[in-house]
Amino acid sequence: MKKILLVLTVTLTSLPVLADDNQKIMDHHDPHEMDHGEMDHGEINHDEMDHGEMNHGEMDHGEMNHGPEHNHGSHEHPTENAKEDVMTMSVPAITTTDDISAALANGGAPVVVDVLGVVCDFCAVAMNKIFGKREEVSALYVDLDKKTLSLVVNKGASLSDQDIENLAKRAGYRIAAIRRDAEALGG
Amino acid sequence: MWTGVLGILLSASAFARPVSYTGGWTLIQTANRASTAGLLHYSVSHKVSVGVRHEWQRDDDVTLTVIQPTWLAKRWYGHNYQANVYLTGGLGTATDRSVAGLGSDTASFVGVMTDWETRTLFVSYEARFLEQGKLGNHSMHAARVGWAPYTGDTGELHTWLMLEVDHRKHFDNKTTVTPLLRFFKGPALFEAGYNITDSAPMFNFTYRF
Repeated sequence: MKKILLVLTVTLTSLPVLADDNQKIMDHHDPHEMDHGEMDHGEINHDEMDHGEMNHGEMDHGEMNHGPEHNHGSHEHPTENAKEDVMTMSVPAITTTDDISAALANGGAPVVVDVLGVVCDFCAVAMNKIFGKREEVSALYVDLDKKTLSLVVNKGASLSDQDIENLAKRAGYRIAAIRRDAEALGG
Repeated sequence: MWTGVLGILLSASAFARPVSYTGGWTLIQTANRASTAGLLHYSVSHKVSVGVRHEWQRDDDVTLTVIQPTWLAKRWYGHNYQANVYLTGGLGTATDRSVAGLGSDTASFVGVMTDWETRTLFVSYEARFLEQGKLGNHSMHAARVGWAPYTGDTGELHTWLMLEVDHRKHFDNKTTVTPLLRFFKGPALFEAGYNITDSAPMFNFTYRF
């Protein structure tokens, strides 16, 4: 029976992920997280990409090795001047509550965190407990509909992306993306 | 001792997330056709909780008091779902409270619990194998499906319609069915159901501190 238990444990802990969501979260604000030089674009099917969803204006193509087979004829790379036109991806903005509005009015910095695995109020309780203990955080709200954690960081304080990722992990969750300031406000 | 810690358990606490956030306390009370039980656990991390469980097996009039660690072996994080596999165990004492007066013996159990949940769908399975020496061994399997007729937002009342099927081979009615309602709001979860096979009520309550 011990053998059965051992096999069961090994099997359960080595199950393939149900989706790619368990992969390390890439922080697009941190250039060190995305090394295009190490990417093998030969493995990527660019035909399946929706380049209309991408903001090529913010990409550093000097760092990319697209390889000889990459055909830019099938899509356009907008110039810097055209950046606003392609900023059309809909991402949830900060959820406004009385506490959050007051904290923003006091000069706090808005942060919106897309959280993976948030499906119930216990998830919200966990995030509230963990983030609410931080003195840098003046207001927060977990929005189950948007699957976001809205934070206001006290004026003059800072809460790094790594801090947020670590705190979310302590709560039992994973971060998909972090937006700050104007982007967090939906600008 | 390990020969007694056999089998697989998906305990009733699986339905209420047996590991909380780091530093969190959780009180879980369950009452079903077989037993009335309470578990108070502390999550030392988001993957491990340690608690004290006291359980009264009403049919045999045996009480069980154990230390119960639980390990979140795997969690899948999705944009719209969460899935978990927990492994748990317990070690303590079982005491016969009946007129038979069989005394006490060392008790141990192991179990596994797994669930998959979205905002509106829920599936889970749990099992437990309990060894109590001269007081007998018990195994239990239970599976649930659930559906939420609406999606409540943060802090609102969440309501679920659920159906549980359990199997306990030491009972006359080995396999039974329990429809139940789950109400969920903030840190509190309450479930009320009725075992239509064994004509027994079910009440479960969980509170997260």
